[in-house]
Amino acid sequence: MYRKSLITILMTVCFLFGLISVGGAQEKLVVWIGGHVVEQEETWAKIVEDFEKQSGVDVEYRLIGFEVYYDSLVTAYEAGEPPDVCFADLGGWVPTFASQGWLEPLDDWLASWEGVDQIWENLWPTVTYEGKKYGLPWYTDCRLLLYNKIMFKEAGLDPDDPPQSWDELLEYAKLLTDASQMKYGYGVSGAMSETTTLGYMIFLFGAGGELLTSDYRQAAFNTSEGLEALKFYTDLYTKHQVSPPGTPGYTEDDYRTMMAQNRIAMAIGGPWSFPLIELANPEIKGNYMVATHPYLREPASVLGGWASVISATSQNKEIAWEFIKYITSYDVWVYWIEQHGGPMPTRIDVCSDVPQFQDPKWKVILDTFPYAKVRPPIPEWPEVSHAIQSMVQRVLTGEMTSEEAIEWADNEVNAILGK
Amino acid sequence: MWPLSESNVASYFKSLTQKPAFLFIIPYFLVLLLLIAYPLYTNFYQSFQTESGLSLENYKNLFKNPLFFKILGNTGIWVAASVGLQFVIGLGLALLLNQPLKGRAIFRGIILVLPWATPDIVAAVAWKWMYNDMYGVFNDILVRLGLINTYLPWLGQPNLAKLAVIIANVWKGFPISAMLYLAALQTVPKDLYEAGSIDGVSTWQKFRFITLPLISPFILTTVMLTVMWTINYFPLIFTMTGGGPANATDTLVTFAYRKAFRFMDFSGSAALSTFTFLVILVFAVVYTRYLLREEEK
Repeated sequence: MYRKSLITILMTVCFLFGLISVGGAQEKLVVWIGGHVVEQEETWAKIVEDFEKQSGVDVEYRLIGFEVYYDSLVTAYEAGEPPDVCFADLGGWVPTFASQGWLEPLDDWLASWEGVDQIWENLWPTVTYEGKKYGLPWYTDCRLLLYNKIMFKEAGLDPDDPPQSWDELLEYAKLLTDASQMKYGYGVSGAMSETTTLGYMIFLFGAGGELLTSDYRQAAFNTSEGLEALKFYTDLYTKHQVSPPGTPGYTEDDYRTMMAQNRIAMAIGGPWSFPLIELANPEIKGNYMVATHPYLREPASVLGGWASVISATSQNKEIAWEFIKYITSYDVWVYWIEQHGGPMPTRIDVCSDVPQFQDPKWKVILDTFPYAKVRPPIPEWPEVSHAIQSMVQRVLTGEMTSEEAIEWADNEVNAILGK
Repeated sequence: MWPLSESNVASYFKSLTQKPAFLFIIPYFLVLLLLIAYPLYTNFYQSFQTESGLSLENYKNLFKNPLFFKILGNTGIWVAASVGLQFVIGLGLALLLNQPLKGRAIFRGIILVLPWATPDIVAAVAWKWMYNDMYGVFNDILVRLGLINTYLPWLGQPNLAKLAVIIANVWKGFPISAMLYLAALQTVPKDLYEAGSIDGVSTWQKFRFITLPLISPFILTTVMLTVMWTINYFPLIFTMTGGGPANATDTLVTFAYRKAFRFMDFSGSAALSTFTFLVILVFAVVYTRYLLREEEK
């Protein structure tokens, strides 16, 4: 009897140790690629295979869907078992991760890399934390006005002449709204989501305002411009009702789907929207377009994208650098665009060389990009963004006036940054 | 085994024969230790961690945050309404399904298993679509029935959103309550009702004086379990509203998730989790004591 129980205990112990040892040894380069879509699988396989041939290094890569990517990544870092290389949202995650000590600074490698000058100038601040660069931007994009040409035509508007000013935006949106048919002119992002912050930012920048001071230590949106932007943005829903009744629960992505069904005429979108809107309704192809978002004083946009980062705990940092240098090279990018047509590379030379970008939509994107500003690259960003979302929601739901909400958010953001 | 008496000695020898049984549960116990006790301990430890060593700072910050009390209130409403409605609907349905009826098994299968077996995310996304203010089936039905005139933004208005997530949760959760109540009802001896009929008592009296007292232990168990599940239930709210609009549907768990995974405030989130754990522990202790007392009877 005792021998039997002893065996049971031994087996349990072996089982537990087995678990641990599986997690332990790592000889090859582990790469996590986030924002995975099925169509890109073969391209990644080819790119990785070529790198393996060139360098003789084994690469173990995982393609991870966007929905679960962030949580998987944070969990892996927090547990001390991160991949050697991964993609991180530039602007948002890179400084946050860097502040946790999870990332390796790339400055020394970047200093001797010939591609540095080819990276769009306005991207570097997105990967910088306390003066050091922690990521190499890989792809980027900027936010634009996405609109439905069919609805423009139905409302008697010229589909090739989108609104340029706020006044025009409101005028067009009113003409495009027909609540009895459940058709609305402009989709105001109002959900508890980053897109709500981005929506407000585009109006804020368009009014000539700033979100934070240039050292990112204080709120700077509680100004007449900031209030103007908040009022205009929320009035579209509360006063003019050109945004659907469910606005406080909707994001850009919801509006894109509705646009595919000819229910929303205008909303914020970007290059990533093209395949997705066509996926929602293939018939929309050729019937949607992008334009620089209407503005009050100056053209405005917010940029985003992925940057490659290297984990501070990685045992293979040199190889990791070789890998991210390789995927950001001219040839790999040209190959990628040949395969997929997008997204927008962080390299200026690729953007100006590839024939695919001669398309009118891409012309708009490349024209707007230089105006695009970065989300403040600070570790407190998620909290700040949440405060902005709450501010917008409080006005949308009638809990506060714009004046009260902006005052509240100003205090809130300063408290977060002052910690 | 002191003082030495016949019964003490007997129980000592009895415990000796039970020893292998203890050894047999060791693997299970170790796994439990690894999967429950260790994370619990880490969470507890982390909740006291601050940049300047261990302190109560995280808890102080938590109780200083005005949002915390709003969220505590939300959680109270969410739990009370969800559990209350699940109790009423669950018990009502169990009483109906306990009647002799043709095709009872099919009814039970469809009504009871379907919502409960639907994966959380699938249910949440389906409800989100049904509540849609432009083409949601929920609004469509209500307008056709003449209950409302225009489509309502179910997830876009704070009070409606609270109601909307509660309705979805009741739908998702009532089957398990109903199943437990149905099982309870089947333990009530039929002859009691027959005796009641002979004495000429009404249906209500039968329910009040025969059914209810006999199934009350099951009711308590079920309510306790649903309370604990509901406090901890995360995916539905998170998928449907993300806690919005204006924090109207934020509960302790969505708040804890956001603190850790969005704001990187792992220690603050750990403090909140520990608080939630203590709340649930109160229910668990009450429930366990009750169970033990029942066993003694």
